[in-house]
Amino acid sequence: MKALILVGGFGTRLRPLTLSVPKPLVDFANKPMILHQIEALKAIGVTEVVLAINYQPEVMLNFLKDFEEKIGIKITCSQETEPLGTAGPLALARDKLTDISGDPFFVLNSDVISEYPLKQMIEFHKSHGGEASIMVTKVDEPSKYGVVVMEESTGQVERFVEKPKLFVGNKINAGIYLLNPSVLDRIELRPTSIEKEVFPNIARDKKLYAMVLPGFWMDIGQPRDYISGLRLYLDSLKKKSSPKLAAGPHIIGNVLVDESAKIGEGCLIGPDVAIGPGCVVESGVRLSRCTVMRGVRIKKHACISSSIIGWHSTVGQWARVENMTILGEDVHVGDEIYSNGGVVLPHKEIKSSILKPEIVM
Amino acid sequence: MESLEEKVVAVIIVGGPAEGTRFRPLSFNTPKPLLPLAGRPMVHHPISACKKIPNLAQIFLIGFYEGKEFALYVSSISNELQVPVRYLKEDKPHGSAGSLYYFQDQIMEDSPSHIFLLNCDVCCNFPLPNMLDAQKRYGGMGTLLVIKVSAESANQFGELVADPITKELLHYTEKPETFVSDLINCGVYIFTPKIFDAIEDVYMRQEDRANVHHVTSFEALQITARSPPTDFVRLDQDILSPLAGKRQLYTYETMDFWEQIKTPGISIKCSALYLAQFRIASPDLLAKGDGTKNATVVGDVCIHPSAKVHPTAKIGPNVSISANVRVSPGVRLINCIILDDVEIDENAVVMHSIVGWKSSIGKWSRVQADGDYNKKLGITILGEAVTVEDEVVVINSIVLPNKSLNESVQDEIIL
Repeated sequence: MKALILVGGFGTRLRPLTLSVPKPLVDFANKPMILHQIEALKAIGVTEVVLAINYQPEVMLNFLKDFEEKIGIKITCSQETEPLGTAGPLALARDKLTDISGDPFFVLNSDVISEYPLKQMIEFHKSHGGEASIMVTKVDEPSKYGVVVMEESTGQVERFVEKPKLFVGNKINAGIYLLNPSVLDRIELRPTSIEKEVFPNIARDKKLYAMVLPGFWMDIGQPRDYISGLRLYLDSLKKKSSPKLAAGPHIIGNVLVDESAKIGEGCLIGPDVAIGPGCVVESGVRLSRCTVMRGVRIKKHACISSSIIGWHSTVGQWARVENMTILGEDVHVGDEIYSNGGVVLPHKEIKSSILKPEIVM
Repeated sequence: MESLEEKVVAVIIVGGPAEGTRFRPLSFNTPKPLLPLAGRPMVHHPISACKKIPNLAQIFLIGFYEGKEFALYVSSISNELQVPVRYLKEDKPHGSAGSLYYFQDQIMEDSPSHIFLLNCDVCCNFPLPNMLDAQKRYGGMGTLLVIKVSAESANQFGELVADPITKELLHYTEKPETFVSDLINCGVYIFTPKIFDAIEDVYMRQEDRANVHHVTSFEALQITARSPPTDFVRLDQDILSPLAGKRQLYTYETMDFWEQIKTPGISIKCSALYLAQFRIASPDLLAKGDGTKNATVVGDVCIHPSAKVHPTAKIGPNVSISANVRVSPGVRLINCIILDDVEIDENAVVMHSIVGWKSSIGKWSRVQADGDYNKKLGITILGEAVTVEDEVVVINSIVLPNKSLNESVQDEIIL
């Protein structure tokens, strides 16, 4: 079976992190975002993944070389020369997605994290016999998204409503699709929206079905949702009693610590923290609701909450970093500095406190 | 009798990516020294000033940027000016004087009698031939270009005191807290090869001081094992200050303009200064037009020959338009720098801004700022490939590359 992951864009909402690497390679729970999806696809027997990209192909291709061998799955790139929207890339990758088996293929949106119940989705797809299946997820504020109106018992999709003003339903497109190759005949090689042009056509033919996504779902394309997403992800690890979660007297709640990271004495870590490879957390440090990426050093007595600390950065002694502070790559926060929501671009030194949310270039 | 073969070389310090953060977002894809001012890269202005030096043998650019970032520019400028220009990459910081010493062999290759040292981020008239004459008259080790500034602003620079008759440098102090003098160091120097001895002396004294400390035998082994001196030698504190008043250093005062190009806002100001200089020295570099065959031009404007500007547009004062730019009918541009491949649609207005490469400015949109160069958001900067949609207003903001603005913004940094 094959799959396409829509990578697209510049990832500007995840700046400053995406100033250093393309968005699919930004680490989430100590793993590049796209690896979560590739591993889920591999687990259900997908043999080839096509990445639809239009930005920094060299960086992506290098990454792929490393991971192709480690994961044991074929990874290729389909590069857009102009942005093709959410459906156009499928037409571009047509030859890679279809083969003599005539099997359906998965399409995933790279910003999404979830439990990826792909096996259930295959069964659902077989059972309804339609042309396309999509996962939908229930949200509290459907008007922020595109709502999928469907018949509850069969899951047959009636229509899509983009950002509805009146309540029409609370299920939105989760960005996970399973499509028969015949869907490709409906897509022209031009900038096309799968939600606005392709799916409504299939729905009109009564061949589009939606399955409610079990478990958590998050679009982690921006920092606030990234941090909430980590909480959901770690929570799902907890539910599965995953051995990956850290334990110990200095751990509260769900915490992920890479085996090569070092944590000092007298620290209190958690809840909802991910500490990446090669990190050094010195003694007396308090971390909560934050992500600490590869190679970061948190010095003694520092306190970090609700923030993302980018690769190879350092946080000084007694520093306090909180309220959606996002440090890009190689940012060094001085001793005793306070950052309240500072968003700091890569390769900077912070020598004076940031008292209210501000972008530091 | 002077030898006719007395060669002169010039060294231009271009710095490195660490200093470029103030020029973000423009410095994301182009090193600061290559950002355009008055239609040419920043470093071009000191380089072309060097061309006026008699018997110029070579020009060296010293910096921390990767060689490949300068390779294309260096080969094309060598060709254009018919003088060898080389980029030398430093592996680690040696200090402003230490860098000179580190590349002593290359710099002294042609056995020059004099070495000019210029800082790339200085915007001025570069009276280099006059400095050479002055240096020969004074006969010391070196001469500094100096300028009088307002007493209030003097403490941002190196303040110095010079003898009014002999022009000798009597006293030098970097960024003093109290007022010393309104005469400051411009960051343009000429030295004789004796400068290398002076720098070496500083290294020796640093090593002696290190050796006086009690060291373990292991540390002592480390010290002797180091072959080139690895310490830091700064020109201002380690050479100029100590040698002031010892009849070694002299000053040459310029009455023309001088600025340090520290921020993109100041680079618009410097662009204007250079354009004004073109008006005097090379007026055919400036654009002309009255709205009939060419666009109306007000004040000093330079337009790259490949740019297309509609005759109903009004351009200037102080506007630089780079290659392949398309300016549509009815556009108004004031005090701005428009980089390569930008498209400005009908009736748009751009004031006090820098518009990054490949950006597009929609119909009737306004991209502007209040033009206060000292404020962080005093000029509007659009990074590479930014789209401002029709009728959108962008005021006092900085927009990072590849963003599309479909709503007006004010006083914001858009990531």
